[in-house]
Amino acid sequence: MTSARAARRLSRILAMVPWVIAHPGATVDEVCERFGYTRAELVRDLNLVFVCGLPGYGPGDLMEAYIDGDEVVVDLADYFAAPLRLTTAETLMLLAAGMALMSSGTAPEALGTAVEKLERVLMPEQGALSVELAAEPERVALLSGHAARGEVVEIEYTSLAKGETTVRRVEPWSVHSAMGNWYLRAFCRLAGDERVFRLDRIRRVRPTGERFVPAEQEAPGGIRYSPGVDDVTALIRLGPAAAWVSDYYPVDVVSQEEVAQVVRFSAAVPSVAARLLVRLGGAATLLEGAEVEEAVSDLKSRILRRYGAAG
Amino acid sequence: MQRVVERVLNLLAFLLTVERPVTADEIRHTVAGYDQESDEAFRRTFERDKELLRDLGVPLRLSYTDAWEVEQGYVVRPQEYALEDPGLTDAERAALWLATQVVRLGGQSPGRAAVLKLGGAGAGSGGEPLAAELGETLDYLPALFGAVVERRLVRFTYRTRRRRLRPLGLAHRRGHWYLAGSPAGGDDVRSFRVDRIEELEVTGPENAFRPPPGFRVADVLPEAPWEAGEEQVMVEARFDPEVAWWARRQLTGAAQVEELGAGGLSARLPVANVDAFIGWMIGFEDAAEVVAPAEVRQRLIEHVRAS
Repeated sequence: MTSARAARRLSRILAMVPWVIAHPGATVDEVCERFGYTRAELVRDLNLVFVCGLPGYGPGDLMEAYIDGDEVVVDLADYFAAPLRLTTAETLMLLAAGMALMSSGTAPEALGTAVEKLERVLMPEQGALSVELAAEPERVALLSGHAARGEVVEIEYTSLAKGETTVRRVEPWSVHSAMGNWYLRAFCRLAGDERVFRLDRIRRVRPTGERFVPAEQEAPGGIRYSPGVDDVTALIRLGPAAAWVSDYYPVDVVSQEEVAQVVRFSAAVPSVAARLLVRLGGAATLLEGAEVEEAVSDLKSRILRRYGAAG
Repeated sequence: MQRVVERVLNLLAFLLTVERPVTADEIRHTVAGYDQESDEAFRRTFERDKELLRDLGVPLRLSYTDAWEVEQGYVVRPQEYALEDPGLTDAERAALWLATQVVRLGGQSPGRAAVLKLGGAGAGSGGEPLAAELGETLDYLPALFGAVVERRLVRFTYRTRRRRLRPLGLAHRRGHWYLAGSPAGGDDVRSFRVDRIEELEVTGPENAFRPPPGFRVADVLPEAPWEAGEEQVMVEARFDPEVAWWARRQLTGAAQVEELGAGGLSARLPVANVDAFIGWMIGFEDAAEVVAPAEVRQRLIEHVRAS
């Protein structure tokens, strides 16, 4: 714990010192804003730098760091004149974040040139890293814009679970991407409650011109389906070819065998579980769940009928 | 904590200026802050400090202190320590800062520290109504990325088979990370889901291979799940009006699409992974149909019967 705090403090000092050296005359406000310091924190770090330096540790060996009027001064610290290189993980995360935001269609123009410059310096060649979120850029920009301005929109939405299409007025809170899809989190006036909508199931968006007062939000969170009390559940045995299901869906693993596992799967309606089971073909077996079993046999016979094949 | 930070700053200042490898013993007697009484206390303190430096990204290396290779000492080469200046403008730094706030990877927002190293950025407005999650865990990603950047060979287990690969690139698509690379002794490029990679080893020296000229990982990764595979089938499928809009959104540029009467859709598309394609078609329940070829129709029927 102490060492994580020490690391954060050190990394900020090792970033601030080179910048001040490269920008003589930098003001306290400028340095504070750029590096996220309060004035007191900056003073504390400058005082610390002031007592460090090279062996001998006398005047002339120690760095100079102080505030002169409104100016931040760092001197005798040439060995810290260059900022520290990025770690591999920092490089990856910074570039990936930049590319991800660019693919969302909401990025400021400067992001594109920033990512290009970083790739040139940090990568042996361009093109070895690529991040693309699901392709919904127009909707993402549109709906996050409505959310930022607090504008009520009307959406036409086809539910993934039931296949029903409804028109509803929603107060958009945030747009986020997870598990390869974009989602809108909103207060839905039709449901009278908070709802999450998949962007690719929103068929139309119409601004209403009406405003709402955005409530204080916590940061948009992850989007895994969380089982509700009225859910149907099914006990499913997943063979090796269906092992990915337990990574992808929030299932309870009931037992783990050598090559297979038994999981409990919850869904709001039986058809969701049925679609999954039919999709898995022979790779999974339904062990328990009468409603789901019925939905599976209904889905199977409907598809086979379409192909003119008998069950 | 104050003492730790002071001591590590002194250590780093010493290492950056001394211009030769220095032993732990010399550091103990030269650098301020290493006045621990016992050898054991010094050793523990010094180990922690080295760990801290490495976590920050300081390239701390061991090398022999003399030509006879008797004793090893620590070195930080200033040219290795320094970040090459990418020449960012303040607007570019602010844009990167915004990106790190919106995007999360491995449960964390990627790197205030990184933006600070690049010269920091004003706090901005914050509270964007936008977020993107690039995966819940980091797993092998940093190690694989390191191997791509340094061009070092990797070995790993994938679907129970041990593989050796020249790692050429990493890409995030449809919620997953993929590693693209060529098997040792081959030129074809394959992709692997990073979360299915097990027992990774990064082996051998840096610059062990050269990527093909003009290589872009974006070009070799499939756009849709059914485009990732070794089969080559041209498939024709039909979508009823109530699902046509959704099918159209998920079809890639490789598909030739034709409007049918009443809003339905017909598509001809190349499929490289028939099982993945069948899985996708079943998502439309009985509102879509594979029209041709007959083998794919038959495989779908058998797949449904097996469930």
